[in-house]
Amino acid sequence: MGETIRQKADRVGTFRYISVFLMETLARWIPTTPELEAKVFFGRQVWDFAQHADWLGRRTGELRSPMQWSLQPADGYLRVLQTMAGATGTMERLAGLHDGLMPDLEARYRDYIARTDRLNDEPTVRILERILFDFERLRADRAAFPAIRPDLTLADAGWPARIAAMARAETDYVSSRAAARAAATAS
Amino acid sequence: MAPSDTARPPLDPRLFGDGPARDPRFTVREVWAELENYPDGTPERDHEFLHRQMNEEMCVMENAARSLADFPDADWSVRKGLARQCADEARHTMNYHRLLLARGGHVGQYPVTNFQYRILGRIDNLLGRLAVQNRSFEADGLDAATHALAEARAKGDEVLAETYDAQQADEVCHIRFANDYIKAQLQQSPRVGLQIARALNLCAEAFAQVFAGGGEDVEKYGVAVEARLEAGFSPEEVEVAVRQSNERRAAVRARLGLT
Repeated sequence: MGETIRQKADRVGTFRYISVFLMETLARWIPTTPELEAKVFFGRQVWDFAQHADWLGRRTGELRSPMQWSLQPADGYLRVLQTMAGATGTMERLAGLHDGLMPDLEARYRDYIARTDRLNDEPTVRILERILFDFERLRADRAAFPAIRPDLTLADAGWPARIAAMARAETDYVSSRAAARAAATAS
Repeated sequence: MAPSDTARPPLDPRLFGDGPARDPRFTVREVWAELENYPDGTPERDHEFLHRQMNEEMCVMENAARSLADFPDADWSVRKGLARQCADEARHTMNYHRLLLARGGHVGQYPVTNFQYRILGRIDNLLGRLAVQNRSFEADGLDAATHALAEARAKGDEVLAETYDAQQADEVCHIRFANDYIKAQLQQSPRVGLQIARALNLCAEAFAQVFAGGGEDVEKYGVAVEARLEAGFSPEEVEVAVRQSNERRAAVRARLGLT
């Protein structure tokens, strides 16, 4: 990958932002989703994303940025997150996250691991591998859900695929710190 | 008793926010007297209790989730505590759901009330919410779970005892992280104590409306001293809780003619 410590910190900080965003999205969905089975599904996963954010946030401190530091993603990727989070139907929420966004996020974690120097950057690699290990369990939970509530279906059958396509289209997900600062000042 | 059968004044909107989303299986009532309150020792009572607990755990999860979403600038440590609480309460909900189904019950079998969620919706700061939800509701739950654990063991209901045992350990952590956060905030700025006092007063007023008609007539168990100390309450705080609990129970016993 040949990136500087600062560039690596930017990627890890962006991954942390995404994890916190997903944690907060699930938290918002819990009281506003009617079905008990979906609420507890989201409730258990809030903690997964919080832990991922925490591990990544410890790493940002080791990469000469503040501890528990997040960097807002590039505008296009942020719009993908916001679109996914705006779903109101139970299955649109569940499938938009699991079938739409998470495969793309997993691919970005794998890409980071593939491109970085595994020895120089071993602590980041280990964190991402632990997250990917969790993702397998989350995927299994998602696969089991239709058997728990077979009556719940997508009202918008194309929703997860649209989220996936939007995410795939955004190749650059890391914004520069200067751009992020400017955006924060403007808002 | 259906709501239409009661002649009570409506709940004060100043004390109660909107309820959480519930699927159509649930019948949602507003106050304790509108629930199905079976006497101890009846078979229906045990069943209804599992159903009630399932919904209450869901409300606690919803409260923790809402606070996590509502206060993005709070310390990361307390946010992590709330996230963990979401997952724990989700497991508790699933556990009571599992027990209810295994014992022949079903979701929606009894009416429920979501007063905990509705009360917290009227508290606009995290300290106040933690003081009410984690330090009051959860601490009362800890006392109840400690008593229920002993009761389940005495009855030989090992499945239920294991549930309470695991839940009790989780609740201690939820109370402790709130206690740690509240104490740290008070140390930084004692004036935040006003937020806590206001939240507790609101809660007391709201409780009087929800439990009008006998819902607070609990005299069977007192304060779980050891568990509360473990959860980060100071010995002085526990002493006050014990004194208040003893006075309250004595008053209930006198009112019910049990002395």
